[in-house]
Amino acid sequence: MPRRPKIPLESDPEESGPRMPATTAQIEPGEPTDLELMHGIQQEDPEALSKLYDRYNGIIKALILRVVHNEAEADDLLQEIFMELWNQAKNFSADKGKPLGWMVTLARRRAIDGLRKKQAYMRAGERLQNETEQQPDAWVHNATEEEINFSDTRVLIRQVIASLPPAQQEAIDLAFFRGMSQREIAAETNTPLGTVKTRLELGLKKIYDGLKELKDEL
Amino acid sequence: MSFDEFQNRARLYVIGALENGESREFEEARSHFGQEAEDFITECYRLHEAFALSLRPAKSSDALKERLMKMVRERKQGETR
Repeated sequence: MPRRPKIPLESDPEESGPRMPATTAQIEPGEPTDLELMHGIQQEDPEALSKLYDRYNGIIKALILRVVHNEAEADDLLQEIFMELWNQAKNFSADKGKPLGWMVTLARRRAIDGLRKKQAYMRAGERLQNETEQQPDAWVHNATEEEINFSDTRVLIRQVIASLPPAQQEAIDLAFFRGMSQREIAAETNTPLGTVKTRLELGLKKIYDGLKELKDEL
Repeated sequence: MSFDEFQNRARLYVIGALENGESREFEEARSHFGQEAEDFITECYRLHEAFALSLRPAKSSDALKERLMKMVRERKQGETR
């Protein structure tokens, strides 16, 4: 069994100390907010989708890559997800959260669906090499403007996650990025089910509480 | 189920990690706690954003965006005909 990639939570050495984070991209003065862009998409304005794509395609693709570990599949899914965003925009409600949250939830679901389909195909007889060894890692791509916009937020969130014991990080990684159930995580890590549940609960609570503290700084 | 326990379950719920038996209990508690529960669940979805934002953005090609925008414009034109 190839070793799973550790949830990449370590701090970047080139990024220093906590600063005030932004939970969305830093928007230039005069540029529309995410919510305004979502309203534009709901009005079927392609330019609004274009702008939202420019703002978040890197984050969404990183999420997809973290799940599927395949550049070509990630590109296909990225396109499908933004197409779905266009088609489903009328279902978005600001009362239920921010546009980025909605996009991430949608992207994660699609990526995990894609992963499960691929795993079912593999079980049917295909043998693939260790994906994590052959596929580029979303964490090592060159910096983009979008990345720079998000770097403060990323450092702070990674500090919160990195404060967790590795076993809690691993359990959360498998649940969130692999879509595994507690039982699947228990089997995958050869750990009692009750321990997995405790690790998930404690880890998620620490992250949640940490995010609340960050929110107070916003 | 206490509200503290509900909060623990809610965090598992938003990442899809509740087991079947837990899901049933969770839904009962969700109904019992009403709007307070819904507000907490909405807040828990911030975890999704946080996990995504913890990743280093990945690069995609300009061609991908061009294909997407072409599909969107064609879809829009098709609907207005």
